[in-house]
Amino acid sequence: MFLVLKTVTKRFADLTAVAGVDLQIAEGEFVSFLGPSGCGKTTLLRLIAGLEIPDSGQIELHGRDLSALPARKRNFGVVFQSYSLFPNLTVANNVAYGLQCRKAPRALIAERVNEVLALVHLAAHAAKYPHELSGGMQQRVALARALAPQPEALLLDEPLSALDAKVRENLRAEIRELQHRLGITTIMVTHDQEEAMEMADRIVVMNQGRIEQIGSADDIYWRPSTRFVGEFIGRINILDARSWQNRLNGAAASDGEVLAIRPEHIRIVEGPTDEAVFEGTVRRAAFLGNTTRLVVEADGGEKIEIEVHGTAKGLATGTRLLFALPRASLNRLATAPR
Amino acid sequence: MTKPGVRQRADGDHVLLVAVAACSAALLLLFVLAPIWAILKYSFVQPDGGWGVGNYASYLVSPRFLGILRNTFEVTISVTVFTVVAAYGFAYAIERTCMPFKSALRMIALIPIFSPSLVQALGLQFLLGRNGLINRTFGTEIDIYGFWGIFIADALYAFPHAFLILATALAVSDARLHESAKCLGASAAREFWTVTMPATRYGVASAIFVVFTIVITDFGNPVVIGGNYSVLAVEIYNQVSGQANFSMGAVVGVILLLPAALAVLAEKWVARRQFSTLSAQSVPLLPTRAPARDVCWLLYSCTIALIFLVVVGVVVYASFVRLWPYNLGFTLRHYQFDVQNGIEPLWTSLQVAVMTAAMAMVFVTAAAYASHQLQVRAMRVFYFLAILPAAVPGMVLGLGYVLAFNNPSNPVYTLYGTMYLIAICNLYHYHAQGFLLAITNMKQISRTFDEASATLGGSRMTTFRRVTLPLIWPTVISVGVFFFMRSMVTLSAVIFLITPSTQLAAVSVLYLDDRGALNQAAAFAVCIMATVVAFLIVTSLVLRLFGAKTTALIR
Repeated sequence: MFLVLKTVTKRFADLTAVAGVDLQIAEGEFVSFLGPSGCGKTTLLRLIAGLEIPDSGQIELHGRDLSALPARKRNFGVVFQSYSLFPNLTVANNVAYGLQCRKAPRALIAERVNEVLALVHLAAHAAKYPHELSGGMQQRVALARALAPQPEALLLDEPLSALDAKVRENLRAEIRELQHRLGITTIMVTHDQEEAMEMADRIVVMNQGRIEQIGSADDIYWRPSTRFVGEFIGRINILDARSWQNRLNGAAASDGEVLAIRPEHIRIVEGPTDEAVFEGTVRRAAFLGNTTRLVVEADGGEKIEIEVHGTAKGLATGTRLLFALPRASLNRLATAPR
Repeated sequence: MTKPGVRQRADGDHVLLVAVAACSAALLLLFVLAPIWAILKYSFVQPDGGWGVGNYASYLVSPRFLGILRNTFEVTISVTVFTVVAAYGFAYAIERTCMPFKSALRMIALIPIFSPSLVQALGLQFLLGRNGLINRTFGTEIDIYGFWGIFIADALYAFPHAFLILATALAVSDARLHESAKCLGASAAREFWTVTMPATRYGVASAIFVVFTIVITDFGNPVVIGGNYSVLAVEIYNQVSGQANFSMGAVVGVILLLPAALAVLAEKWVARRQFSTLSAQSVPLLPTRAPARDVCWLLYSCTIALIFLVVVGVVVYASFVRLWPYNLGFTLRHYQFDVQNGIEPLWTSLQVAVMTAAMAMVFVTAAAYASHQLQVRAMRVFYFLAILPAAVPGMVLGLGYVLAFNNPSNPVYTLYGTMYLIAICNLYHYHAQGFLLAITNMKQISRTFDEASATLGGSRMTTFRRVTLPLIWPTVISVGVFFFMRSMVTLSAVIFLITPSTQLAAVSVLYLDDRGALNQAAAFAVCIMATVVAFLIVTSLVLRLFGAKTTALIR
């Protein structure tokens, strides 16, 4: 394994930011730490970068313990949310900074600066100062600066969240493409599930300092392992066990589990099917473009969300309808990480 | 296996930082704490040479002391109340109205910062003294020496300091609150008491404590214009220089140290609460035009500005007349300085000021850098040490230097009687203000620059040289300017440290005034002010040349 974290723990005063995290990352992988703010994802990245010192646990690179190494000797390329380009240095000097710290020969530095600036399509802006560039360009310079010293891995801390939506989308693709081309191991912290799902090979979903689930985008969406993951990624209906269980013959949840189903998995049906069918009344219908979201009050008082493709004709508020919960789409979710 | 409490090995980087902190702390201990300790110790040395509280016992009950104590608080409290109210009005006019000539008025109100404190007293002598303009013109018999002399002189002297604090507090305000008040039908007065005043109350408290400290520790004005109305700061001087009674001087010093230290502590406590009223969502308040109101405020501000101009103007004027007030013919002969050491003290002052500024740019910046970077609990003690000098009156620090270092067994003794010790004394006398100025600016530089540099492989030295220093050099310059200005005009601490060969300009003004050579005193004071102003102009031109236009040199 390339990078191994063993029961890494970090406390700030009386807050445990990272609580005994175990994680293995393979060389060349693109991993994303995903979670709500305050879940410990940034702290975990900073621990790897050496910007924080763990209270306990180990971080190993190529089987070597990094604990004793300060950030400047770890050789990770870090990109910060706030760009953090040195405002007093030109783009070229910002990019050259890491190489100069390593006392690389002048000619080699110039060559490498040109190379990485070309990589992020900013060769023409080498002589400019950071404040003369747009946010997206600044973040690309930050990326080039991190890549220039040929780091072991790239650590991105919410690299896109300070940018406009359109710029963000372009840069997403650009980073992903760059990572593929260079084959560099990359860890990206984000709170944006779409970003994580689009870019990462594996997603590490975190909550309250712990890992809830590690898996591909597919895994965490279709097979969430905890209630937190189910609710955090996309939308999901959590079914109250008492009122639904006996009607969902067999699909019972045991202690510490809930039953859940995604709104788009609920089928609106015309009549009885071989699946469990329920009756309800549309309480609200919101047209969202590619889908329509219905809030249906099932007979018995439970509210449930159903998503149908496109415009839902004839499903105005007050309409009675029948819907089925396909057995295969029902998830049993643990209420706490296992 | 997990090792509990993984520790990063101390590398060269860390060692360097700790070394900088340790050196700064050692210097603070030597040049701030040791003198205070010496004062404390001496105050317990009795006339018979033994130890005890005898000095306090006999002094504290003497009617002389009680009178001085009453005088000190009487004048300090009345000046504080008057100055803060007057400066609030002036700051309000500058920040919240649309009256014209704001920047000129602001500059005029800052004049006393460029001049030794006793210039105010000197000006008052020319105007209201026995042979002053007023008494001679109107045949009145106003006696300015005493309470009113100190009151007016110190009010003028402390005014700019109060004004700067209050202007900062009034400069930013949330327009939404004012709009809400207006929409709810509040009158102008009600809006002021419910919105404006609460938002600036910490500024007001801060100004109160700062003015209190300035007035209670001021020596220059009361010594010149106090007459028989003695105050604590002058009493130290009288005990030491007049009666060579060092122990009694130390006793008075300790007594003066208490209220000054309490006021400074209170000010720090208040200042920490100050900047919480504005959030990112706040809408800045822009003053609106109201011709009638603006004219009223303009009249008020111009009256105040006029007082400043008259007081300093009369000093300048008097320096060019033959013999005030009998012969008002123009002459330059007072600028020949055919007395004492001639013009020598001005050069000494200039050298000391440059030396102080140079040392401050290195040592104060280093102390601020170490305090900012080393985030460990022990650094709180360091921080306290660094701002402690703010609580030590100049007279106390100066006497402390005499008591601690005028002793051949002390290694600092080799510097005793030289310009170097005077420069060091100035450096630590004003250490707190310079330190806070530097640290405030360092805090504005995002910590992620340090982190970005570290992740790129930069050591602390590299980061400091290539990133931090280029970003803070305007601050380093303004620290230097601050110390230069203070060194040029300070009188209190250094008065105990000068020798005939290291006499300073501000002290010359005092001596000349004392001898009745008022015209020459005025000429010397004008030279000091001219030097400071020239230095400021040159520095800001140089800064402009290097593209740091926005650097505020006076804070």
